[in-house]
Amino acid sequence: MRVGIPQWGNVYIPVKAMVHRLGAGDNDLIIPPPMTQKTLDLGVRYSPTEACLPYKLTLGSLIETCELGADTLVQARGTGICRLGYYAKGQEQMLHDLGYNAQFLTIDVSHHKLLSIMKLIKNVSNDAPWHKVISAFSFGMSKLFALDKIEKVVWKTRAVEIEKGMANRIYREAIKAIDEAMERKEVKNITKEYIDRLNRVSKNSKTDPLKVGIVGEIYVVIEPFANMDIEVELGKLGVEIERTITLSRWVKYSLFLNYLGISEWRKVHRLANPYIDHDVGGDGWESVGEKVLYARNGYDGVMHLAPFTCMPEIVAQNIMPSTKEDIPVLAVICDEQQSKQGMLTRLEAFVDLLEFRRRRGNGRRI
Amino acid sequence: MIKVGIPRALSYYQYYPGWKTFFEKLGAEVVISSLTNKAILNFGVSRAVADTCLPVKIFLGHVISLIGKCDYVFVPAITSLGEKTYNCSKIIGLPNMVRALIPECPTILDPEINLEKGRYYLYRNIYKLGRYFSSNPVKFKKAVEEAWEGNLAYRRKMSHEKITAIQAIDRIYGEDCAPAPSLDPPEELTVAVVGHPYVVYDDYINHRLIFRLQSMGAKVLVPEMVPEGELAIAARKLVGETHWSFEDEIIGAGEYYLEEKVDGIINLAVFGCGPDSMMVSFVQHRAKELKIPFLPLSLDEHSSEGALLTRLEAFLDMVKRRKKI
Repeated sequence: MRVGIPQWGNVYIPVKAMVHRLGAGDNDLIIPPPMTQKTLDLGVRYSPTEACLPYKLTLGSLIETCELGADTLVQARGTGICRLGYYAKGQEQMLHDLGYNAQFLTIDVSHHKLLSIMKLIKNVSNDAPWHKVISAFSFGMSKLFALDKIEKVVWKTRAVEIEKGMANRIYREAIKAIDEAMERKEVKNITKEYIDRLNRVSKNSKTDPLKVGIVGEIYVVIEPFANMDIEVELGKLGVEIERTITLSRWVKYSLFLNYLGISEWRKVHRLANPYIDHDVGGDGWESVGEKVLYARNGYDGVMHLAPFTCMPEIVAQNIMPSTKEDIPVLAVICDEQQSKQGMLTRLEAFVDLLEFRRRRGNGRRI
Repeated sequence: MIKVGIPRALSYYQYYPGWKTFFEKLGAEVVISSLTNKAILNFGVSRAVADTCLPVKIFLGHVISLIGKCDYVFVPAITSLGEKTYNCSKIIGLPNMVRALIPECPTILDPEINLEKGRYYLYRNIYKLGRYFSSNPVKFKKAVEEAWEGNLAYRRKMSHEKITAIQAIDRIYGEDCAPAPSLDPPEELTVAVVGHPYVVYDDYINHRLIFRLQSMGAKVLVPEMVPEGELAIAARKLVGETHWSFEDEIIGAGEYYLEEKVDGIINLAVFGCGPDSMMVSFVQHRAKELKIPFLPLSLDEHSSEGALLTRLEAFLDMVKRRKKI
């Protein structure tokens, strides 16, 4: 069995770790190639015209893994409100029409998430015993958490580093090191080492960087190709970013703590309640709540990332301007027509606006 | 007398008789907004974010046109109508969007209808809604029962008499029926139109598509004419487990009519509709398999009547040629 997964941020690293832990060889998992224009072109060509960007990108990525020889593909499924639940159905049909006879394994992202992931791992690993499955899963997750932990430091460093690009370089090395780590202890040490290195990067201590919160749809927020490296670009402009949407957070809450009644988003939902009081699917409800949260926490601005025609994010976008908490929001709609230059111009203008506002006292008249 | 405004958009076409009965039994007067027109569209377009789909913009326009004409506006959040199926985000978040975009709107009655959360939740929401009109729960119960019956009768009327929602509403309330097109060219073709009721029946959005098809000599079938229960069976057959509450009217109707071997099938979708973008490809795929002509039409506020007509004529000509009429 050769398993292929769609490219999504650093997800392949924990998955690879799990597969190796279960004793499978290098051939059993096809690492999705990094996304390029070719991936996007393939996805656009074989998707319904109005499908959303994550659909097109994941389809393109799956086609590429099929080309590399994958015969079993993993995709999300669910009965949620947004299109995600339809991904597997549509893509399976399309790949079949294209002549790839790949088997689809799906992860249910709406009900019994943890169970469906565990079952999938067990299935892929030729029925390995449960204790091995759990140990492999937890090893994979340790890598995921380590990566997200390092990334959080990278966001802060990028904004104030003197030699631009230093943080990125260290981050790339860290990803590589974590990918190669074989033991849980090693992962821990690497995390510590790289966080230290990031903290030692020479920084411009005089400036107080602008702080921008990133909200939006989880796929385009996490996959740098989908949002055209917006985080790096903001870092180049000297902006410190923050986002709560990370995969480790999803794993922590959606897979575990939610069952114990500790809701991932309880605080965010409470903040959104005056404007929207129930789930609208995807990340729409959370986007509104996070905008309020960032405004209250004294951030300078919010970037709202959404794929074109994303239903939940359109609801959020319609509601956001009416919140009492005033904070500039830049909506970045991601689709196959976007251009990097266009986005950079908008980012620069937005950052200028934030600087101007800060000089004036964050919207308060002095 | 309390006046309740119902916007003539979105779920209106599916539930109007039920809602009307409910409010009238509770002693309120029901005001509906006028047919969609340019002013209504412009109101809606001016408020919503550009990416919002056309039906939602039109809905907002209808709400704006009701300002000053009623004391309450009825904007339900229809979240789920069955186990593990949901509605589109924009319909679920509709009351919140209306509140955010139209601050001058009269009080919004926004019961959340969510069968996923169980019966008790539904009863509680209906009770909360009824409290606006009376303090007697027995009265609500009766009103709800009658409304439910009324709506079922309306659905049955459409499927038994093979009429569209507009004709059914006209017949129930004895209003003037829309003039039936002259059938000079006898009906020689059967064309199924699948799409959401708020697109298929809104003559302003679709440039009187049904009327035009009829006057070109086609017998038009719409999803509402299918006997009860058949749609769900057909939808399951094509895609398995359903995902959205309205899959029946696209996938179900598409599959049902394709199996019935209609001469051609037209899908009416609006630009930017998330669910449609996924579902239509399945119907299209199936039509290709069965070799039945399929015309996808995507409408938005800029779609021109002339272009639509040209495509319709070309499509019907092609269908006729295939049938060798």
